Formats: sequence, C-alpha cells, structure tokens
Amino acid sequence: MNKTALQIIRFVVLVLLQVLVINHIRLGGYVHPYIYLIFIMLLPFSTPKWQLLVLGFALGLSVDLFTGTPGLHAGATTLMAFCRPSIIKLISGNQKFENIPEPNIGQLGGIWFLRYALLMVLIHHFALFFLESFSIRLIGQVLLRILLSVPVSTFLIMMILYIFKSEKKRE
Amino acid sequence: MYNLRRFILKHHFVILFILLEVISILLLANSQRFHRNRMVNTTNDVVGKIYEWGSEVGNYFRLNTANEQLAEENAMLRQRLSVVYDIDTSTYDISEGDTLYKYIPAQVVNNSTNQANNYIIINKGKIDGIERDMSVISTDGIVGVVTDVSRHYASVMSLLHSKSVVGVRIKQSQELASLKWGTNNYRYGMVEDIPTHILLQQGDTILTSSHSFIFPADLMVGTVEEFYPTAIDALNKAKIRFATDFATLRHVYVIQDLHKPELDSLKAKFQ
Repeated sequence: MNKTALQIIRFVVLVLLQVLVINHIRLGGYVHPYIYLIFIMLLPFSTPKWQLLVLGFALGLSVDLFTGTPGLHAGATTLMAFCRPSIIKLISGNQKFENIPEPNIGQLGGIWFLRYALLMVLIHHFALFFLESFSIRLIGQVLLRILLSVPVSTFLIMMILYIFKSEKKRE
Repeated sequence: MYNLRRFILKHHFVILFILLEVISILLLANSQRFHRNRMVNTTNDVVGKIYEWGSEVGNYFRLNTANEQLAEENAMLRQRLSVVYDIDTSTYDISEGDTLYKYIPAQVVNNSTNQANNYIIINKGKIDGIERDMSVISTDGIVGVVTDVSRHYASVMSLLHSKSVVGVRIKQSQELASLKWGTNNYRYGMVEDIPTHILLQQGDTILTSSHSFIFPADLMVGTVEEFYPTAIDALNKAKIRFATDFATLRHVYVIQDLHKPELDSLKAKFQ
C-alpha cells in the first residue's frame, strides 16, 4: 500500500478510536489513557524533524476538536514530537537504523519499544495533565493522574502494536 | 538579513516548536478565559455527526433501559398533572401561554466525565430552537448549560466543569448556596457557601434556587453525601451526590425560558 495513504488511514483510525472508544473508558476518575500517540511513535525514522512537529500539532488538534479543548492535546503532542529524536537517541545509543524504516516491535524488540513508548507517553501525559489543570494548586491530583494513566496508556499502546504485528505476519 | 535567514534555517526545529506551543497555549488560554469552546462551533456539525454515528451503535444496547426510564417518567408526570389540576388528565389542554418553560427533548451524542472540563454534545441545534445559556436537565436532575450552538448540534457545559457554578437551595431550610464540581469525580459535587447556622445531614435534598437565572427553580440537583462544618465565621461546605448519572446520560431536555426576553430587558435597565 502507498506509504502516505497508510499514514492517513492510521491517523484517522487512531483519532476515531481515541474519541469514540478510549475516551469513554472510566477507571476511577483518575485514569485517562491516550493511544492516539501511536501515530507519532510509528512515523519513519527518516521523517524530517519539522514534519514531526506539524504532524504532532495536527494530530493533537484533531483530538481537541472532539474533546472541545482547543490547544490542549495539540500542545502536549507537539512537545512529545519535539522530544522524539532525543528519546530515540537516548534509548538506542549508537545503534543505527539503516535497514529499519520505522520504529516497530518486530525489528527492534519489545523491550526497546516499551522504553520508547513509556518515555513518549510520560512526556505527553505530563504536559497534558498540567496544561489541563492550568494551575499549580491541584498538583497532587495532577501527579496522581499522571502516575495512574501512564502505565495504562503504555499497556494499551503495546497491546495494540502487538495485535497489529501479528496481523502483518499473517498477510 | 542573510544572518537572520541562516539563523532561522539552522534552528528551524526549535523555532517551529516554540511557535506551535505558543499557538496551543494561546488557544487554550482563550478557551478557558471565555469558558466557551468557540472552536467547536465552526466544526460542530462535522464532529456532532461523527459522534452521532458512534453513539448510535451503543444506543441499541440501551433501548430497553431508556424506554423503561421514559415510561416511568411519563407515569410520574401524569400523576403529578392530575394532582395539580385535580382534573382528568386526558381532557385538559395546556396552551402555549400557560407555561413558563418549553422543553425540547434531545439525545446525548457525546459525553465525557473524566476530563477537568467536561462538555456534552446533543443532537439538537439552532434549527430546533436551541440557544446559548439555555439549561439542560435529565429525568433525574440538572445536567448543564448550553454554551455553543451550531445548526444541528449544541454543546453543553456539564456540571462536571471547573467553571460551572449553579445557584442552589437546601430543600428543608430554603437557604441559598452555590454548587461547584470541585471533586473530579463524576458522581459528586460540592455545595459551598452554606450559612453557618445550617447543619446538613446525609440524604438532605438540594434543589435549584429561584435566584439562578439559568435553571428554573426547584429542580432536583442531588442529595447530601457528607457535610463539612468549618471553623466559626466561615461558611460550610457539603459534598453532594448528583441526582443525574452523568456516566449513562442519554435523553435530556433543553429548557427554553419563555419569559427570558422579558427578564433580560428588565435586567438591562438596571445596568
């Protein structure tokens, strides 16, 4: 399939999955998982840095449209996209990705991807929940939200990626 | 000029990042200041449509419960009607001029309960007569206020919103207080500014006050769950359980106050 078409489908499906399904999950009021970040995580290694930012912003803004929070997800996702090159450098050291087009579990391994996903989710959630409360007064609650949501988001993301990994093999 | 261009090219990643973040924060600050989601207005019809598709799937599974709930409400209203007018309900005709409020039924197409500021999107809009600042209730209790209207949809600021304030009164004592969310749990809200001499108990009923210009008076809000008496001279607080179950909200009514234009023009004279 055409690479661009695949990216567009991924974008739309992830946004819809997020706003129509995942946003309705209620786990005690503090757990708010976000999985649409997968789109940014799976962009090819060769993606120009400025494209990462623009796509991150667009992705966040699309989710904002549905949640009625202009700028909230856009800000958090842009920050995450900004940090992506450094995170990749941090967890892979001198490892080169010459034969690997994009981050994936199959070629890089579950452990590599778990560290990658965890760091990305952590940055995103940190920015998101702080922007959302918009005040330092509720810091306890914000930290609790981050602490509880990060593992759930990471778990869901890893699960979704594992499901798609096996799908690809069957084809 | 050359140096500037070189600088921008060299640091384009960081510059673009800062630019996008500034845009995000401005958007966010703007939406919080006016606590209206203006951006939703322009795209509301598209977003509303997508949400409607999504909720239609879920609706089939809830038809039974919804039917039961509506039938129960119907029976209750018929009973009340016969008490109020002491006549046979089937022959009494209520004409337009007799009522203070018009109820517009609507369905919830999207609803969140887990954000810091929650909005509800309903499938009635401008063409159905919905306007900004109208109040929204469910069978069980109050729900929120319309903040934005598009052609076919409207977004409602639910009680589960950090900026939501509703004038309420305590049923037994008639004392006024104000309701905020303040708990971050979709089941509970906080009633603040309760006069010091009022002591509440678990189960006491909280209704809307007639001083609220948004909701009609005496609508069910919730029941007291926990009372927090504070030090002398300070006003008391109480945690209440909302009568409305925001998690399963489906059918709501938008209330149009038929006397609102009259009230507004009167209020305008004093300003």
